[in-house]
Order: sequence, then C-alpha cells, then structure tokens
Amino acid sequence: MEDESHNNILPNGFNTGSTESPCLKTSTMTTQHNNNNNHQNHSNKEQDRFLPIANVGRIMKKVIPPNGKISKDAKETVQECVSEFISFVTGEASDKCQREKRKTINGDDVIWAITTLGFEDYVEPLKTYLQKYKEIEGEKLNIPKQLRSEQRLHQHQQNHNNNHDENNNQPFNGAYASSNLISQPPYVPTDQKFSLPFSPNSIQNQLRQQEQIDSVGHWYE
Amino acid sequence: MRQAGAYSGLLCGGVSGRTGPHSLPLARIKKIMKNSGEDVKMISGEAPIIFSKACELFIEELTRRSWIMAIQGKRRTLHKEDLASAVIATDIFDFLITLVSSSESHAVGGATNVMEVETIDCS
Repeated sequence: MEDESHNNILPNGFNTGSTESPCLKTSTMTTQHNNNNNHQNHSNKEQDRFLPIANVGRIMKKVIPPNGKISKDAKETVQECVSEFISFVTGEASDKCQREKRKTINGDDVIWAITTLGFEDYVEPLKTYLQKYKEIEGEKLNIPKQLRSEQRLHQHQQNHNNNHDENNNQPFNGAYASSNLISQPPYVPTDQKFSLPFSPNSIQNQLRQQEQIDSVGHWYE
Repeated sequence: MRQAGAYSGLLCGGVSGRTGPHSLPLARIKKIMKNSGEDVKMISGEAPIIFSKACELFIEELTRRSWIMAIQGKRRTLHKEDLASAVIATDIFDFLITLVSSSESHAVGGATNVMEVETIDCS
C-alpha cells in the first residue's frame, strides 16, 4: 500500500518540482501584494486576504478526534495556506486561459489546474459537488411557480365561499358567476318589497281590510 | 450569484445561512482569486463554487496530515509546527514551504524557522 502510494506520488513530485520556479514567483508576488495591503487599511485588507477563521476551524475539527485540540496559530497558518492554495491554482488556470486567448476563468479551468498541480484526488468530489449544486439551483428556480399555484388555489377557495355552493367545474363556476351578476340587480328591489308587509303598520292595515270584507259579506247575505 | 440558503442542510449540515450550502463564503474566495494576479480579469460564477469545495478538501487533507505529526510527537493539540512538518513531508504541498517557513508568520518562532530552513537546505 505505502509503496503504491509512494509510486503514485513520485510523478506528482516531479511535476511539482518542475513548477517550483513559478511557485516561488507566485509566492513572491503574493508577498509583495500582501506588503502593499499591509501598508494600506490594515483591518479590512487583513480580513479580505484570508477566509474566515471560524469556517476554517470548523472544517479542521471535522477530521481530528473529538478529544483533539487545535491551537490558534495552527488555524491562522491554515488560513494562510488556503489563500496560497487559491492563488496557486488561480494562477495556473489564468495562464491556461491566456494561452487559449480567453478572458474568463471558468469551472473547468479550475479543475484542470487542480489536476495539473497534483490534486487529482479532489476532482471527483468536486464534480459531484457541482452537479448537486446545479440540481438545487434548478429546484430553487421552480419555487415561484409553486407559489403561483398556491395563489390560484387560494382564489379558488375564495370563489367557493362567495358562491355558497359546491364548485366542481370551472365552467360551471363561471356560468354561476355570470347568472349571479344578472340576478343581482332585480334581487335588491325584491328585498325591499318583501320587507314592507312585515312592518307593523302594514300588518294592522291588512287586518282592518279583512274585517271590512267580513262585514260586507254578512250584509250581503 | 444567489445562494440557496434554504437547502443548506442538503449539502453541508449545520452550516449557517450566511454562506448558504457552501462551507466557505464565495465572495471572499472571488476576492482572493482576483488578488492572485493582475492577469486575472473575469471569473465565472462556477469557479468560486468549485473552490469552496476544493478548499474544504485541502483544509481536511492538510489538517489530517498535520494531526499525524502531532500524534507522532505524542501531543493532542495541533500546532503550527505540525503543519510545517506536514507541508515538508508532502510533495503536493511544496508550494507552501516558503509560507510555513516564512518569518512573516503571525507566531514568532525564530529557532523553529531556522531549523526548518536548514532542513530544506539539506534536502
């Protein structure tokens, strides 16, 4: 096992050795850039140079035993190493884009650079990760449509409440709504007429009329 | 670039909504990429996403190898020296040797740095 691993590492080591000069150049450039940043606004630039130490610490804890501890200087060193890793890979990807006369560094360029620099083991997890991310993004775009459907259902329920009837078919609902609109104007006057007989004055008048009729009938006999 | 905060549990459990499904902030990664060189002009949306996972794998590997160094030293606390040892012992981490040996590091360790430099000179 170890021998195989060693054999696998040898070619990578050779490749890494051949790129040692560019690596040193990158490091030098990074150092100069860092010096410039230090000369400027220190707090903001300091934050921008590294990934958040909390995120880095959380990832580190995942791979050590629960009873293990991580000193702060170790976390800070890893922060610096990660930034160097990003710059190292980005530089390689950027060189490839320049050779191919392209201006935008895309995902494939990053994966190619990671492979070239000896991190082949990362490629498969990266592709899986990207695939899952795309699936979730696709699902996210479907959310507005679902919300629209829910709104339609809500409106449908409102129509049901207004009509006081069981709504089975949309055409039926439409027809009923139409008839409802037609019947509305005459319905109001009907209510007004219908309420008149129930007033006390109306009732008394009717009773008196009945009495008169009885008198007339009796006289006729 | 919109981050799907609602689905953070699916990819990385326990990650705060601030970075969405990714364990590292994409904006910060993009800024570091831009600062890596003046020839870096435009960066597609996919690149920081890939880096957020690549950096996670990198941190895990570097930490795991450093932990082995700490255990060999019969310690249960990971220190900067363990990281330096792991970097020196691993070929794909060669680009970090200057960094972990640099006197500009936060921690002051002159003797250790000198020893490391001597080790590098020997190899």
